[in-house]
Amino acid sequence: MSRSPVGRETERVDGRLKATGAAEYSGDYRAPDLAHAHLVTSTIARGTLTGIDTAAALASPGVLRVYAAPDPRLGLYPITGPLAGFVENYVPLRDAEVHFHGQAIAMVVAETPEQARDAAARVTATYDTRPPRTSLADEPHVPAGPTISGSPSSLNILAPGVASIDAALAASDVVVEAEFHQQMQHHAAMEPHAVLAVWKGDQVTLYAGAQVPSAYALGTAQRIGVPPQNVRLITKYVGGAFGARVILWSDTPLAAAAAREIGRPVRLVLTREQMFTLTGHRPQLTQTVRLGASRDGVLNAISHRSVSERPTTVTFPMTPAHATTDALYRTSNLHVDAQLATLDIPGSRAMRGPNEAPGSFALETAMDELAVATGVDPVELRLRNYATKSPSTGLPWSSKHLEECYRLGARRFGWSARSAKPRSRVEGQWLYGTGMATAIYPAHRRAASVRIRLLDDDTAVVSTGISDFGTGAATMVGISGADALEIPLTRVTPEIGDTLLPQGAPAAGSSATHATVPLIVNAARDAIKELKRLAVTDDRSPWHGANADDLRYERGVLHGQGRSMTFGSLLAAVDSPDITALAESAGEPDPRYVHHSFGAHFCEVRVNRFTGETRVTRFTTVADVGRVINSRAARSQLVGGVIFGIGHALLEENPLELDTGRLASSTLADYLVPVNADVPDIDVHLLGRPDPILTGPLGDGSEEAGTRSLGARGLGEIGTVGSAAAIGNAVYNATGIRVRDVPITLDKLIEHL
Amino acid sequence: MNEQNEVGGAGPGVSRRGFVGGSLAAVTVVPLLTGQAETAEAAPAATVDGVTPVTVRTAVNGDPVTLRVDPRATLLDTLRERLDLKGTKKGCDRGQCGACTVHIDGRRVLSCLTLAVTTSGHQVTTIEGLADGDRLHPMQQAFVDHDGLQCGFCTPGQIMSAVAMVDDEGPARSDDEIRERMSGNICRCSAYPRIVDAIRDAQRVMR
Repeated sequence: MSRSPVGRETERVDGRLKATGAAEYSGDYRAPDLAHAHLVTSTIARGTLTGIDTAAALASPGVLRVYAAPDPRLGLYPITGPLAGFVENYVPLRDAEVHFHGQAIAMVVAETPEQARDAAARVTATYDTRPPRTSLADEPHVPAGPTISGSPSSLNILAPGVASIDAALAASDVVVEAEFHQQMQHHAAMEPHAVLAVWKGDQVTLYAGAQVPSAYALGTAQRIGVPPQNVRLITKYVGGAFGARVILWSDTPLAAAAAREIGRPVRLVLTREQMFTLTGHRPQLTQTVRLGASRDGVLNAISHRSVSERPTTVTFPMTPAHATTDALYRTSNLHVDAQLATLDIPGSRAMRGPNEAPGSFALETAMDELAVATGVDPVELRLRNYATKSPSTGLPWSSKHLEECYRLGARRFGWSARSAKPRSRVEGQWLYGTGMATAIYPAHRRAASVRIRLLDDDTAVVSTGISDFGTGAATMVGISGADALEIPLTRVTPEIGDTLLPQGAPAAGSSATHATVPLIVNAARDAIKELKRLAVTDDRSPWHGANADDLRYERGVLHGQGRSMTFGSLLAAVDSPDITALAESAGEPDPRYVHHSFGAHFCEVRVNRFTGETRVTRFTTVADVGRVINSRAARSQLVGGVIFGIGHALLEENPLELDTGRLASSTLADYLVPVNADVPDIDVHLLGRPDPILTGPLGDGSEEAGTRSLGARGLGEIGTVGSAAAIGNAVYNATGIRVRDVPITLDKLIEHL
Repeated sequence: MNEQNEVGGAGPGVSRRGFVGGSLAAVTVVPLLTGQAETAEAAPAATVDGVTPVTVRTAVNGDPVTLRVDPRATLLDTLRERLDLKGTKKGCDRGQCGACTVHIDGRRVLSCLTLAVTTSGHQVTTIEGLADGDRLHPMQQAFVDHDGLQCGFCTPGQIMSAVAMVDDEGPARSDDEIRERMSGNICRCSAYPRIVDAIRDAQRVMR
């Protein structure tokens, strides 16, 4: 097929629906006789409820129910077994314990959203309060536990004869040691969590945004005490996620339980304020990086330690060093360690580049400090320490073109014109500087399944229950399906976002694309085989009795014995509405390799000499993300990822009030995310070199099914990794001031300017 | 599989106008300009603490609408919950994100900070009223063409804001001006550079 859509600039399949307001998000669905729920949240961080006064709320107009903890009417249960890590470990509204400030303690259900909200404001609570644990400095610290890839929370690799990492550092010519701090950050997706629960008999249909729909539905089933097959989740349009919709929080089970108890559909929409405490955050973090190197910058020892938080209800155990430092640079001596402090704070969860974004900020800032200390150019320094096999496992990469990212990025950005000396470029009141950093993100394959149906109208439906929260996943499914079946994209209908479909890959960890495309190719292969089998076995087919091997499938048409028929006309001729093929995979990776995506960021900033205000003025990113399926959506993802890095570096933090355990920010006016004026044009280039291992052997073009989408890697997070460090390094180059506590706000610069 | 029908939403083929006029007892689409008598009934239990509903006579996307509303009801909630115009989104409900941006007499306003009662005698335009049938407004088309959207949740607000920025306030003279004037609309997916591209293109066509 001459015009495969793979790699081209393809318009999103849902772009038009989104631009007209016709796309329906979870809070947009309606049901007859709908009732509305509103949550009441705790005003202490740790203690026991001694009473909740619901009288005023119950007397409010339109109120149907007020559930107050502990409330047995909801029928919610603890979750044990494999899903335990996928949910909070307390049961909402079931007991009187308060685990964090902002926990749901009551829920009002009323006829209208306004009535529910109004009545919720009339609920008051009394507590027996205990002092909350709120500081990372609070001992004891516990090991973070093994990472997702199974490596231990502490790793100590030493060259023969070296007694300890400290000894290796002491023996190095040049040593850089730096400590980094960051407060909590929030996903702040534009769509507040919303759920509509509609029961029919013992079956419930949920409309809610979820990144892992199958596990989300399963978790809800266990929480509300019904068999898994009784829960269907529809998650078609999702207003952003970034990790906040990976696990099951309290909102969906509460809405489902309330709908069951009152016998009416219930909709629950969280307020923006509630989003900050009820749907997770990126954990606060302290990191210490020590680098030991020769005078010309060749690394001899790397140590990277972190202390992060472990909220009591649900936690994302941060291992930032494991995701960056144990994979990025060649070194003889490597030490990584991750510790956690148990705190009485809202639950935390992965946020875009969960470990990698903060981990790379520390490591790549320290590398810049090493470049300064040794006088080696930052790009050259990274090339001198380039790893060709994993520093922690010794395994080769399935595919790695990071060197090309550095060289091409430096050229596109104009890096050679840079002066390494800080404060070299002053224009009026602005100090200009440039910096760079590396990006790395692991590629894990996860279990998934795909169904392809060829229809008698010559179209095909590619179905997989993944979620598209703006990633372009639905479009990716269409493109890969069109290529695999060698038919135009307009004849392929991608079907996603529903747990009645074959189980989709998790839209998490940048894995959905590379988990899905090989299954689409496999399903297409099987569909073509099945089409041929039908052609030779059905007595209404012109090829009845022929040998299937004599038939050839090409661009949606079967050829053989001097005849040609489209698959649709064959299906019509044999009176069969469709042909179905299902492909499944457990997602086992090839254990002989390590799998990562890579990138190089180059950034220019200007810092105001008088106010310390920092603006990003130029940004170039070159990324090695395997084969690119849709260059338009891929570039948008990379650009969005880089802008998350701008937030990380310059804007985003939510400090905790240590006495009370209350988060300082709970609105988008206090918790600052980048807006349009904070963002320059961002130059993104994708190398587009297919990964020959991750998705299985690449095709050679000889097959009947198209294989051009093989070799892709997911790319949702790689832009976020390293971009904050590139900005911080540029701020140093502009000002000579090294800020290791993000965000780099003007108060941290102004006294040194 | 048709979840729209399952939950009783307006199915495909049902026009917005017909749906609004036909399915909400409390809402009567009255052709005010022809002087036809008002037939609005009292609103259902949309009041709290005995507050008397107020009649609003406005026009939404060109259709005259007469509605009895709680005087405290926001335009955003009224559009979404009473008029079933769900393209306008609630991202923060306190004027900080821009997802709820609509036009009143062509000016961009935050519908979450606007009381529905204040729209009497004014023209309200929402994202649903922008396209001319199947033909997208140039701004909508430009957002699609430039991939000026990802999750799409902020997109109606971005587009409404961008249209009024050009039509009502006058085209931007530079990309930086677009960035500044569009900074009331947050896009967490951060499609910002593509949004700037889209607006730069669309304002040429709109002129």
